[in-house]
Amino acid sequence: MALPLKYNIRNIVVRKGSTLATAFTIGLTVTVFLMVMALARGIDLTLSSSGEPLNMIVLREGSTAELNSSLTRENFKDLMYLDGVAREGETPLATGELITLIYKARKGMSQGSNVTVRGVGPMSFKLRSGFNVVAGKQFQPGLPEAVVSKRIAERFQGLDVGDKFKIQTTEYTVVGLFDSAGKAFESEIWVDINSLASTTKRENYSSVLMRVKDQNALTALTKRITDDPKLHLKALSERVFYEDQQGAASGMLKGLAVFISFIMAVGAGFAGMNTMYAAVARRTKEIGTLRVLGFSRFSILTAFLLESVAIAVIGAVIGILLALPLNFVSTGTSNWLTFSEIAFNFRVTFDLMLSALIFGAIIGLVGSLLPSIRASRYKIVDALRA
Amino acid sequence: MKYAKLIFKNILRNKRRTLLTISSLVVSLFLIVSLATILTEFERGSDEASPLRLVSRHAVSLGFILPMAHLQKIKTVPGVKEAMPFSWFGGIYIDEKNFFANFAVDARKLKEVVPELKMPDADWQTFINDRQGAIVGAKLVKLHGFTPGQRITLKSPIYNQSVEFIIRGVYTGSDEKTLYFHHDYINELLPDWGKDQVSTFSILVNTPEDVPRVSQAIDSIFANTDAPTKTESEREFALSFQTMMGGVKQFLYGIMAAITFSLLLVMGNTMAMTVRERTKEVGTLKAIGFQRGTITALFLGEALIVACIGAAIGIGAAMLIFNSIDLGLYIPFFIKFIPTPQTLVAAFGLSILVGLISVIYSAYRVSGLTIAEALRSTE
Repeated sequence: MALPLKYNIRNIVVRKGSTLATAFTIGLTVTVFLMVMALARGIDLTLSSSGEPLNMIVLREGSTAELNSSLTRENFKDLMYLDGVAREGETPLATGELITLIYKARKGMSQGSNVTVRGVGPMSFKLRSGFNVVAGKQFQPGLPEAVVSKRIAERFQGLDVGDKFKIQTTEYTVVGLFDSAGKAFESEIWVDINSLASTTKRENYSSVLMRVKDQNALTALTKRITDDPKLHLKALSERVFYEDQQGAASGMLKGLAVFISFIMAVGAGFAGMNTMYAAVARRTKEIGTLRVLGFSRFSILTAFLLESVAIAVIGAVIGILLALPLNFVSTGTSNWLTFSEIAFNFRVTFDLMLSALIFGAIIGLVGSLLPSIRASRYKIVDALRA
Repeated sequence: MKYAKLIFKNILRNKRRTLLTISSLVVSLFLIVSLATILTEFERGSDEASPLRLVSRHAVSLGFILPMAHLQKIKTVPGVKEAMPFSWFGGIYIDEKNFFANFAVDARKLKEVVPELKMPDADWQTFINDRQGAIVGAKLVKLHGFTPGQRITLKSPIYNQSVEFIIRGVYTGSDEKTLYFHHDYINELLPDWGKDQVSTFSILVNTPEDVPRVSQAIDSIFANTDAPTKTESEREFALSFQTMMGGVKQFLYGIMAAITFSLLLVMGNTMAMTVRERTKEVGTLKAIGFQRGTITALFLGEALIVACIGAAIGIGAAMLIFNSIDLGLYIPFFIKFIPTPQTLVAAFGLSILVGLISVIYSAYRVSGLTIAEALRSTE
């Protein structure tokens, strides 16, 4: 026979202060776990959403990022007329792009980070969905004008509409701000490729982006380009390219999340144990009475476990509520591969919240195991005499 | 002191509870010290930067390189004692996982410009005489088992170039996870666009007072050229790498605050239980003449001792573990991973504070009860 749930609920309510303190301890553990995981998830989602399924990116052989890659204009011409490249009318859907970095101070600080500047052509906008000018206007090809990601403009000095920045001897004017549905380009500044090429005196492209006809063409083309011994190039699907980039930063964060939340969980578990031991001790007589009434050892055990898990779940819910306002908060850090800024949002997703809830419940369960076993082992006579 | 025995008896009365509370303190403080060390290690680069050195890089960003020809002009600036290329090669040893910094420098000047690097004079000479030579930090030796005379190949994705070096010495001091080699040597091997170009110059000045003037003088020479420079003290340069991590710093502070707060709840809850259970005893103590202040002090003493024991073990463990296993070996860009004395003292102070705050309310409340109220307690 199981004890009625009411028994547990009343017990929880009677010891309000103690219950709340324990619940909060577990809650804070859950909050920290969620915070770090939300950061890692933010990076993952930004990068994994950045690649289009049928886009292919071509880099120089041996390059780890667009920044240290370089392709000649001949390379580009060879690539765009390959079989399998999608076309719009007669024009292949392909574009060369040029990447560079500018160092900018963060808002309110004297130092900052490197922001990626991408030289783009008209085709770049066709190959990437979601690009949207939210303030000002689009840059005019041929002019030293730039559009800046809204997130970058918010985080760095001197990148708002009307501001100017210098690359080499050319002064660029920011004419607009853009967003791009949370993709990695929201960490960038976009300018006209021809203007950037002449400014930086660079003939070559950093990367070539192409749309292919279908999935088969993607597989065939990436293999064909990468395996061609004369080209010395490396082709990969844009998706894979961005997914590879997330490795270092988000992997480190996930490791940190596990390390911190495990240690905090141990601490919270000890605290939960203390509370439950005290509860068991205070209710010794009560346990005796329940046993006399015919409740089995097992129902005493489950009642205490349940009570503790309930407290833990309350705590986890508090923890989740505390972490929830972080959802979509924008932040940024450096991509340690290229030393350039990646801006992204914290993402407290549903599956993360669910794992946080389970995590909290497990802390409660493990923490109450020993005290509950103790409660169920009392001899009736001893318990009543306590 | 005459109450010390009473306090200790009280602490030992519920051994399991005391043990659990102390364990909770131990893990929390270990965690706080670990996180604080992440923060201080991020700052070590700028803290240990030489006040006599400047770094000159392209004004736009490190994504641009400077012509080697700048060097002669930099050397003419009054106050400059010595200058040399200090160029990021980005070479990868076998696999990206083995990341370590490697720089092309002027081997003949390295010892003078970066005097922190310690190596026997004979090794310096062999290094200088061998154009293909390289020197490595002691920690790289620990990590990859490099030995003098060994040939190693670094592949640079920046220059798409694999270069073989011969290890000619092992230095200690400063960042022991870096490899230095001759700029002259790779300069011949680099593709045309990378020839006679460097990512930064390292500049030694005569006195720290020269720093602002010299950096301004250098930047004004190149202001209107294709390759304008930004020259700053090594400290500022290191700081710029720290600000790159952006929001991560505040984030770590937030986590530390959450841990401290949860510790406060744990301690507070335990002490509240302890005090409540002893309400009757407080009545007895009062009845035999104990003053409110003394009773409060007894509880405070108990919480403080528990907090101190927990802190001592947690902080001690962190110190012991991080001093015996140098995590700095494995974390890219970290020179070391050793808690600073300030961190240890601050963590200890924090636990004392937590101990005090955790008990003050319950102790004050219970000691304020009248004898009758306290004795009548049903706890």
